[in-house]
Amino acid sequence: MSEFTIAQREREAVHVLELKGYLDAHTAPKLEEAFQGLLKDQRFNIIVNCKDLSYISSAGLGVFMAYIEDVRKNNGDIKLSNMSTKVYNVFDLLGFPLLYEITPDEQDAYNKFGNALTRK
Amino acid sequence: MKFRRVLFVVGAFVLLLLKFAADIFRKNVELQMGGLLALRELAAVGIFVLIFMALRPVFPERASIRPVRWLGLQLITLGVFLVVMLLLGFLPGDGFDAKDLGLLPLDYPSLFMASLFSLFAGILAIVNFQILRDLVLASRTKRGRRNFFIFMLLVLATAASSALIRPLDSSVVTGVLFGLALCFALVIAFRLPWIVYLTKREKLLALTLTFFLFVTFSVVAVLIKESSSLERGLLYYSHPLQEFVQLSLITGAIYSGMAFISTLFHLPTAEAFDRKRSELTSIHTLSKLVTQVFDFNELMETVTSMTLQMVGAQSAWIELLPVAQRDTTVMVGEDGFAGGQVVGMKNIARGEIEELQGTGLHYLRTAAGRERKPIVVDEVARDPRFAAAGSETNRPGSLVIVPLVSHTGLIGFLYATKAGTFGFVKDDVELISTFADQATIAIENSRLIKTSIERERLVQEMTLAQDMQRKLLPQRLPRLPGIDLDALSTPAFEVGGDYYDYVVLSDHELGIIVGDVSGKGVPAAFYMSEVKGIFQSLSPLYKSPREFMLRANTVLMESIDKHSFVSLIYGILDVRTGHFQIARAGHCPLLHVGEGSGVYLRPDGMGLGLAEHSIFAGSIEEQTIRLRPGDLCVLYTDGVTEAHRNGEEFGYERLRAAAGCADGRTAAGVKDDILLAVDAFIDHGAPHDDLTLVVVRWLGPVPQS
Repeated sequence: MSEFTIAQREREAVHVLELKGYLDAHTAPKLEEAFQGLLKDQRFNIIVNCKDLSYISSAGLGVFMAYIEDVRKNNGDIKLSNMSTKVYNVFDLLGFPLLYEITPDEQDAYNKFGNALTRK
Repeated sequence: MKFRRVLFVVGAFVLLLLKFAADIFRKNVELQMGGLLALRELAAVGIFVLIFMALRPVFPERASIRPVRWLGLQLITLGVFLVVMLLLGFLPGDGFDAKDLGLLPLDYPSLFMASLFSLFAGILAIVNFQILRDLVLASRTKRGRRNFFIFMLLVLATAASSALIRPLDSSVVTGVLFGLALCFALVIAFRLPWIVYLTKREKLLALTLTFFLFVTFSVVAVLIKESSSLERGLLYYSHPLQEFVQLSLITGAIYSGMAFISTLFHLPTAEAFDRKRSELTSIHTLSKLVTQVFDFNELMETVTSMTLQMVGAQSAWIELLPVAQRDTTVMVGEDGFAGGQVVGMKNIARGEIEELQGTGLHYLRTAAGRERKPIVVDEVARDPRFAAAGSETNRPGSLVIVPLVSHTGLIGFLYATKAGTFGFVKDDVELISTFADQATIAIENSRLIKTSIERERLVQEMTLAQDMQRKLLPQRLPRLPGIDLDALSTPAFEVGGDYYDYVVLSDHELGIIVGDVSGKGVPAAFYMSEVKGIFQSLSPLYKSPREFMLRANTVLMESIDKHSFVSLIYGILDVRTGHFQIARAGHCPLLHVGEGSGVYLRPDGMGLGLAEHSIFAGSIEEQTIRLRPGDLCVLYTDGVTEAHRNGEEFGYERLRAAAGCADGRTAAGVKDDILLAVDAFIDHGAPHDDLTLVVVRWLGPVPQS
């Protein structure tokens, strides 16, 4: 089966997850684990950079749905960026752009967090 | 058989009387009649051959004998004979007169005594040889058999060679044969195969018996030799008989003497031998464990009871760790593995085990599990690793803990206790460890069989579920004029999350729905059946696809798991006008195939179960397609467009191409064309996702009846 990896890094108050590979029912638990870790560490400002994400299945989409509620309750957000057209189409078909901020570039997502953070 | 034996005995008795008569006759007549002498010898031989025949069934050739019993029997016969011999010594009689190397009885009592004594001596010699045969041939080797045969031949030849030789005379031939027979007696005296297999107790018994046998044989032989009346009696009665009896006694002495020495040498190793033998027996029984894997409780029972047997333990039990705890990372944790299940207790109550566990056993066994080595506690009462016991508690003297380690890791522990302190020596621990390894394999096999049976059951249930789910899909095409429709749905696994259905809403309206639940397999299948319920109940109530979607979302939001969502596309086709009113909720766009190539229609709308009513309602759009007669609509799930090979997806363009244009093909024809194209694309491999395809073709307005 295709590989799926997650790289994590900090951008000041924002935590960035870089997804790479094939996100489906088999690999989704990895992403769940990553989100659980972030929530446990009280990190609620999350950017998911999808630059190297080559495929996402409905089970993969489900992972985002599972954690968004908790993140937003804590005044945080999950923002998505750098999606390939193919991956974006999957999100778009399901209407995810109505629920998540999806930006072409990670910096845009970061800036949006910045605004929110300074407003506080 | 019995009749023949009686016949033998009667014959022997008759011959005995005849011989006695001949002796009396001879005493009075004092004639050297060659014919009479030969007849006397013949009668003597005849008597003992018949006695031998009569005794034969008492000593059948058997596969195995109990040597100690045989030795005892030998000693008893010998003892009886000794007593008889001593009693005969008291009989009055003047004995025999030696004259010219011949013997003459001086009176009738002497003659009578000689006959009686010879009879007893002959019987003793025969019985003695029979017992020797059984002992020598205990191991049943070919050579042993041959040697014994030669020996007996020499004995009989010695006896035969002395026939018709005057009692006090002797021939060279007899002397040589006698010497040879003694040599072979020595050879067979080394055949003591039965000694090795005796238990220690039996060896001690054998030692005593062989000692007394040796002494008695020697005493009897010497007594006969020394008492002139006894030896002369024998010689007078029959010279061959005398040789036969003498050889029998000497061989008996040699054999019992050798047996005594050999047993003595085997004594120090007797205990070790006993242990090895019990190990062997255990290993033999162990192999039977394999057949017990079908009954887990029985297996536990056997393992513990065998532990008791093998090392003579007082009690034994097994603790099995739950499968999840077998991980080593859990093991090194502070609290060890707390939740082992105690099974197969022998001679110990659960309460006693728990009490031991609580006062230190738990800690110890965790250490044993970590080290993967048995731990022996020589003195439970004094061991610092055990907390002091209450006054009422009944603790074992010593105990051993053996970890059960399979190839997958630690699966549990085997415990054994003894009442005394220092109860488990090194050999015990080694034996119990070997046994534990075997038991582990048996336990693992038992579990494997159990899981494979379980799996079998699951497969059957899944097949059932598949049947059930297939029945959730429409069983027949809708009966409505003006419509040509065909559909197909195949799950990637046994069951799936794809759904399609139709409902006849009125005499001219047909509702068609295609849906996809996120994920695959059983969870998806459950939601799929829920969607079916929602569709069947709500579609007649809401005559607009959008209204239906809104209501369905509200219902689903209440029950659906956060991870999951459902995508739907729902359309209502008016067969009178060809108006196809559709709403899409996160689902793949509809493909409308008209005169030219197909067009995708993708009214806005997010998936169901993702957001609550206000957001969802804002996203859902409704659209109406005006079909022309002959136009087709293709509704499908992403199993079609995302069918992939080597990372490339089938995609929308290939689907559009496969559908072609409305050229008069039936719905079934278009469906088949699409499926063929998908199948060719994935190289006839197995689909990775559930795949559903519904093709509807509007035939044109139908005149109202």
